[in-house]
This record gives sequence, C-alpha cells and structure tokens, in this order.
Amino acid sequence: MERVKWLDSMVMPTVAALALVVGYPIVSTIVLSTQDYNLVATEAARFVGADNYRKLVADPIFWQSLRNTALYTFGSVAISAALGLVFALLMERFVGRRGRVARLLLLTPWAVPFVVIAFLFRYMYLQNGGAINALLLSMGAIAAPISWLNVSTLAMPAVMVANIWAMTPFFFLLLGAALAGIPNEVIESARVDRASAFSMIFRIKLPLLRNALLIGGLLMIIANFNDFAKIWAMTQGGPGYSTTTLVVYVYRQAFENFSFGYASAVGVCWLLLLLAFAIAYLRALRLT
Amino acid sequence: MPTTVAQTVGVPRPRTRHIAHGFGSGVRVVAIVVALAWSLAPVYWMLATSFKTELEAAELRPTIWPHAPTLENYRALWNGSLPFVSFFLNSAATSVVTAIFAVMIATPAAYALSRARFRLRRPIGYAILIVRMLPLVVLLAPLYLLLLHAQLLDTRAGLVVGFTTFGLPFAVWMIKSFIDAVPIEVEEAARIDGYPRWQILVKVVAPLMLPGLVTTAAFVFMEAWNNLIFPLALVTTLEKQTLPAALVLTFSGQFKTDWGGMMAAATVTTVPLMIAFFAVQRSMVRGLTSGAIAGA
Repeated sequence: MERVKWLDSMVMPTVAALALVVGYPIVSTIVLSTQDYNLVATEAARFVGADNYRKLVADPIFWQSLRNTALYTFGSVAISAALGLVFALLMERFVGRRGRVARLLLLTPWAVPFVVIAFLFRYMYLQNGGAINALLLSMGAIAAPISWLNVSTLAMPAVMVANIWAMTPFFFLLLGAALAGIPNEVIESARVDRASAFSMIFRIKLPLLRNALLIGGLLMIIANFNDFAKIWAMTQGGPGYSTTTLVVYVYRQAFENFSFGYASAVGVCWLLLLLAFAIAYLRALRLT
Repeated sequence: MPTTVAQTVGVPRPRTRHIAHGFGSGVRVVAIVVALAWSLAPVYWMLATSFKTELEAAELRPTIWPHAPTLENYRALWNGSLPFVSFFLNSAATSVVTAIFAVMIATPAAYALSRARFRLRRPIGYAILIVRMLPLVVLLAPLYLLLLHAQLLDTRAGLVVGFTTFGLPFAVWMIKSFIDAVPIEVEEAARIDGYPRWQILVKVVAPLMLPGLVTTAAFVFMEAWNNLIFPLALVTTLEKQTLPAALVLTFSGQFKTDWGGMMAAATVTTVPLMIAFFAVQRSMVRGLTSGAIAGA
C-alpha cells in the first residue's frame, strides 16, 4: 500500500515564510499580551498574567474603538454593496464600446491608492476652499461651510464616504459578473410571466446574487476590519477618539506609547473576533 | 413581434447596441451619468489641483478648471527639498521585488496544493487563507522585534520580507486557480518521460499560465504599493520611506497648505497603481468569482 506523506516539499518555502513572519508573531503576540512590556521603558518585560486583559475590559476607549470599528465596517460595506448593486443593475444592458468604457471608468476608484484617497478627500472636505463645501453651498444644501473632519459627530460619516467611494467598484465588478452569470432562461421566463421591474430585481435577480453578496461582503468586512491607511491619513483617529477604530488604537498603543504588552492584549481580542468572520467566510466558500 | 418568439424558446437576450429603449431609459441615462460623476469627480479634482498654483489651490472659491495651468508642482517634486525621487524608487523597488519573490515562492506551493497528494493539503490551504485575513497591525509589534533582531529594521529588505509574506497567501490561491485550469493531460507526456516535478512545473505548466502569473504579480505589486502600515512602522529614516508613508510623514511640514504640491505627489503615487490595475482588470472577475481573491 502506498503511504501518503504528510507534507510536500513544494509547499515548504511558503509554509516556512508564513511560520516565521506570521506564525511567530502570533505566538509572540499572545505571550506579549501577558507581559508588562514597554519598548522605551528601562525595566525589562515582566509577566503580569491577565492584567492587560483586566485593564482592557475597564478601558472605555477600547469599547469605543470596538463600536467605531463595527460602525465603520458594517456601515461602509452595506452602503457600498447597495451602491455597487445599483451600478451593476444600471450597467447590465449597456453593451458595446461605450458600455465597456463606462464600466472601466466606474472602476477607477479601485485604482487609487488608499493614502491618496485619504488626502484627496481631506482636501475636498476643507472648511475653507474645499470642493464639497463649495458644491453643497452652491446647491443650497448647507448655509455655512462645515469643517467635516473636525466635528466629532461628522468625522466618522465623512471618513466612511471616502471608504464607500473606494469600495463600491469591488461590489460593482463582483455583482456585475454575477448578474451576467444568471442564465438567460430564468430572465426570459420571468419576462414571459410579465414580472414587473420591481419583482424582476427583488424576486428573481437578488436571490440569485445571494452567494456573490455573501462572499464579497465577508471579504470586505474582513478587509475593513483591518483598514488603517484611510483613517490614519485622514483623521489619525480624531477628533477625540471619534474615528479611532481597533487598528488605530493598537497602532497608537504600540508605536506611540510603545506599550507592546497592552497593544498585544487588544490585538488578541481582535484576532478572536476576526477568526469568527474568517470561519464564516470559509463556510460560505464551501456552500457555493 | 419577432423577438418574443425568440425569447420564449430561451435564445440569448437580444443585444441592444446601446442602452435599452422604452420606459425608464431616460432615468437610466441620468443615473449612469451621476454614477460616472461620483466615480470620476474626485480623480478629476486631484488632477486639476495638481496643475494649479499654490495660491489657486487654496482659494476660498475653488476653480473648476486651473486658470493658469502650471507644471511647477511636478517640477518641485523632482528638485524640491524632499527626496521624492527616492520615495518613488523605494516604492517601485520594494513593490517589484515583492511581486517577483511572491510569485516565485507561491508557484510551487500552488502546484503542490493543486496536484500533489499529502495529508496536510487541505489544512494548509485553509491556514494560508486565514493568514490572509489577519490584521497586520496586531502582528506589527512582534514583527518589529523580529526585524530588529535580524537587523532588517529600517531597510528595504525588511519591507520586502513583510510585503512578500503577506502577499503570499493571495498569490498561492490565485496561482492555484490558474493551475487547476491547466488540463492534467499536458503533463502526462513529460511524466512518462520521467521528468522530475520541478521541471514539469517550470517547462510545461508555467509557460501555459504565464498570463496568470503576470496577473498575480500585478496584484501583489498593487498591494505592496498600497501598503502604509509596514513602512510607517518598520522604516524610520525618511530617505528610505515609500511613497504612501512619505505622503503621511511630510504632510505636516511641506504640504500643510500646499495642496497643489500635495495633489501632484498624490498623482505620481496613483499612476503606477492605475497602470497595473487597468492592465489586469479583465482577469479580476475571474479572480473574484473563483473565490481566489482574498481581500482587495
């Protein structure tokens, strides 16, 4: 009988690289989270057990950044998915050369680096001379220019708009491909049955897009959980802590306060949360 | 109407050359124009501002079209006080080397995951996918210490190590989907002739999926080019920074009020990403639908 080996030499370089640069840091993060370790402090790291976790539970900023992360992630993903769906339905029958060009143009935001998106929107959000204030003033939507990124209640929605702008092309492309994959027979028989435009979209097409929406949504939830560039370059988590998500909070703890121990404890909690979504994603993949 | 006959027997929908006629088409045109404006206006604004003088870019009533278009902002990037050329070269070098390394390391792994039989095949496949989803920032502190001990902190090599590792999971899954599509029969002849697996991969399979490898490399390139958190945390000397981190670090000084200069720098940062993106966007749907894309 042939013996099946456990490993294959060809996967070893990848496995070794991941073990060293990802596996080791994970273990190390868990260890660090039980220590009082400050990189710039003079005393050495010492074991403190669950102290970091106790501190975390009592830390209002941790809970606020958790709420902010949820709002930023789910809000942006839901709105981008809806917008991407609208774009895909709009463009569905727009064929020919002009249709192809329009489709490419709609994808443009995807090709803009995150940091550039951040600075571009920061410029457009300026209170004095910003394009968005100028536009809204000329339309009469606001009476006086608003300092979008400096008002704690407006900063988060403002950052989310930039994020939605960046993410919509992903859903547009994904759902456009899924729409094109619906068999013609399905559409035609619905048409023969004189389905209204409304029920055509909501009763026929949407259910068939469920898998694409599920997988795309989970992927983007995971990506947004980890989004750093846009928020950091736009607000650095401010004003106050109004746009501080978990990423920003961990980064601040680790690389501004250099309290690696506490940052790692926040990180471990977050790893667990993310793992739940990762498992949901893998299950969704297997379902399709 | 002849079309109804065709429709009832399930013939492909008639391809209307332009937008569908009839009810709602006017609304549809307006909606498409709005969608295009939403998608393109910010990019236009970046370009337009990059050709404005510092004074015009800061005007209280923004001008839609640059009144006195100037290349001064771009010239200042080239020979200004900041080493922008270095930033660009750092970004280009780290991203290109990362793309090459990632594809070279990922291809054999993808081949094994697609063709070989070994017990840990599925667990390793899933583990690789999960690594992809880990928050970079959580691993940053240990990675910082790791590179510190390896004396790779504040070097381009250190950045390449970080970028490559986090580009690997995606590359493995994407290349695997391309290998899955290569019929196994093409390898049979070489296998019967007794060629080792490595040679079959390099001489038979790789040439067949060269476009796939290029696409994967472009994706990894884009991701490395986009990465902010690694260079920000792992590089401390300004001259060694990449473009995204340099934009963040220099903004507080140089560009505080110079939005024309800022947008010129932003445009230069965007162009390589845009080229890579539009070169591979055709295969993006394929990557998305095969479930290979793990995070955009």
